[in-house]
Amino acid sequence: MSAVWFVVTRLTRDRSALIGLVLIALLVLSAALAPVLATHPDDVFELHPSERLAAPSGAHWLGTDRMGADVYSRLLFGARITILIGIIAVGASLAIGVPIGLVAGYHHGWLSDLLMRVSDIFLAVPQVVLAIAIAQTLGPSLPNVILALSVTYWPWFARVVYAETRALQKEIFVESTAALGASPWRLTVLHVLPNIASPIIVRASIGMGFTILTAAALGFLGLGPPPPTPEWGRTIAESREFLPDAWWYATAPGLAIFLTVMGFNLLGDGLRDVLDPRLRRSRTARDG
Amino acid sequence: MTHGRSWLTVVLVLSMLAAIPWAPATAQTRFVFANESPYDTMDPHAAFDVGRVAVRLNLYDGLYRWLDNPPKLEPWLAESHSVSPDGLTYTFTLRRGAKFHDGAEITAEDVRYSAERILALKQGAAALLATMIAPGATKAVDRHTVQFTLTKPAAIFLAVVPEVHVVNSALLKKHEKDGDWGAAWLTSNDAGSGSYMLTRYDPAVGFIGKRFAGHFMPWGATFIDEIEFRTVKEDNTRVLGMIKGDYQGTGGYLPNDQVKRLREASNVKIIEQESMRIMMFQINNQRAPLNDVHVRRAISYAFDYDGFNKEILGGSVERNPVPIPNNMWGVPRDVKGYTYNLDKAKAELAMAKPKVDRPITIGYLQGFSQTEQAATVMANGLRKVGLETKLTSEVWPAMVERMKKPETSPDLVVYWISTYYADPNNWIGEMFHSGQWGTFKASSFYKNAKVDELLDAALKSTDRKAREKAYQDAARIVVEDAAGVWVYNTKYFGPWAKNLEGVRFSPIGNGQEIRWLHYSK
Repeated sequence: MSAVWFVVTRLTRDRSALIGLVLIALLVLSAALAPVLATHPDDVFELHPSERLAAPSGAHWLGTDRMGADVYSRLLFGARITILIGIIAVGASLAIGVPIGLVAGYHHGWLSDLLMRVSDIFLAVPQVVLAIAIAQTLGPSLPNVILALSVTYWPWFARVVYAETRALQKEIFVESTAALGASPWRLTVLHVLPNIASPIIVRASIGMGFTILTAAALGFLGLGPPPPTPEWGRTIAESREFLPDAWWYATAPGLAIFLTVMGFNLLGDGLRDVLDPRLRRSRTARDG
Repeated sequence: MTHGRSWLTVVLVLSMLAAIPWAPATAQTRFVFANESPYDTMDPHAAFDVGRVAVRLNLYDGLYRWLDNPPKLEPWLAESHSVSPDGLTYTFTLRRGAKFHDGAEITAEDVRYSAERILALKQGAAALLATMIAPGATKAVDRHTVQFTLTKPAAIFLAVVPEVHVVNSALLKKHEKDGDWGAAWLTSNDAGSGSYMLTRYDPAVGFIGKRFAGHFMPWGATFIDEIEFRTVKEDNTRVLGMIKGDYQGTGGYLPNDQVKRLREASNVKIIEQESMRIMMFQINNQRAPLNDVHVRRAISYAFDYDGFNKEILGGSVERNPVPIPNNMWGVPRDVKGYTYNLDKAKAELAMAKPKVDRPITIGYLQGFSQTEQAATVMANGLRKVGLETKLTSEVWPAMVERMKKPETSPDLVVYWISTYYADPNNWIGEMFHSGQWGTFKASSFYKNAKVDELLDAALKSTDRKAREKAYQDAARIVVEDAAGVWVYNTKYFGPWAKNLEGVRFSPIGNGQEIRWLHYSK
């Protein structure tokens, strides 16, 4: 608990990290309270053809879309999809990447080489391109987007964990624990993993932003969840037909994506400053 | 100093000349058409749709051709034809001296080969032709006379003759592999005689053709030298490309908002034409629970026709409640069809025997945002009567594949049935005769012996009155059975570059035959 408190107080002292934290809190709040905050909660499905493409007004704070649905309300519900995609995709990437990185880092030999070469192959292809290929093959839907993102993002975690594990193996506490007869499983999970948590957390935070951006790109290309899902990328794709006249239609989800991704990136940078032992050590040295 | 200045003048004049935007008289003229769906094949016998019609109209010729609006059948490769008194034998006399792109003369043997090839490959217009001619029933009487013997009298045979695109039989035989009629080769090559010759083809991009100066139909004084048909999936990209001048033509069935934008552009003109193109949802009549008439009626009552036609499409279309366009003959004028009525929809659902216990899949076409909007409106209506939906989308050729079998076709698919020949059979006949299953038009997989009988009778007769009655009766049954959801009939709003002259619109082909076009001075 005290560790968490330490991180939070450190973060709040860093202005950009604080902004990131606030943006993400806003995102989570709007997702959680979407039914309460939305002025037209039914408009996730409901259509009002006679009110289509209305400019922002008191009734529709961010205007209406091509079907006459309230853009603001759909935006709030879209936040739920965004968070869902981010958390599941990054979570799955962690679940795949971290064990692979640990195993590859601990073992020396063909298994390690094999795992790392496989992740190299994934890293050799740009993530968006690979994700597009996977999503196109499987067909447009929310689970397939999440799958495509997870399958393409895990190598980043595998790489980070592999490098950190390798570095830790030379540390005295690891060698002594091994000498005391700890099993490899116990050694990696109970002793190595907690000591490399910081870079994983930092990577995960930046990965959230990255994954959300890629998910929006997939949605924009029509590979995301089908209509009427209020997914942000899809909304921007729909709105292009009506630019520049219906400027609010593209602006609202565009800004939402921008702020969300920026929030996670700022938070990720802030977390790195606070958590990264090397950076902290150098700061302490300077402070001292 | 003077010397230097004169050089400078020369350079300036030259650079100005080079920068002049209009091309000198000798330069090649080019035309680019932005097409909504991909050209996955160059084989004129592999497709019978509007999405790939440009291949057939520009690279190939048939015996007759549909031209202008209202569409008229004009002699094309044939000079004339005669029909035997029993209506079974059609004899065509070919124009002399017409040549393929490789210089070979077009003979009756090529026509015979082409007809046999369509029937053998069983794609495109084969399903329709097979109802009239059997393999081996076409004869090359002499070098310039070809004779079709029908299995039974067919009122629409002549109307479908333009679809027998004549291919170069000698060339195809050279490229034949394992008895495939040269199909593998022709997918990406040209064996035609049409106004343009294929110079480049990439299924991911489109195709380019250059003018065939030796075409039998004399060229005008001005023409387009090179044509390109490019796949551009997004409505918006096509519209912006038209406004910027990247494209000189695109499909004439854009959403109303886009047509409005194009009207305001200084270099685009909108050509408005009466057309026959109905938008509809095909209902997969074979799959439970849609095999229950009450479920289908509930679906028909759940679509907001006015909201879609009048609000979303801005009234640019007209409600068309039956599977024959309003402006065609054969429409039962007393049939009002279905209206948007959720109470009736719920009542129908209550009467349905099977419970709808799974989401209804609604298919729409990528690249046609109007189909996506129609699917969304349908999903909204169904949700209100308690039915869950799942939207699924494909590009046109992929959807055509899915619609070949009731097992792979979505529960509902929304798209248009355009004009391929001006006869009610083009709509109701091909859509609801059970013998047509497997074609995209018949993807409702409807089977009703009485309707089959009426449609057969309508085809056999040459008496217009009797035919009209048969189509009206068939339409009544199909509407009663709610075999599909018919939404509207549309006008054509074709965007073309303002300086293009000679656009020759016909509901068959939608003006995509480029040989008539030229740029004004």
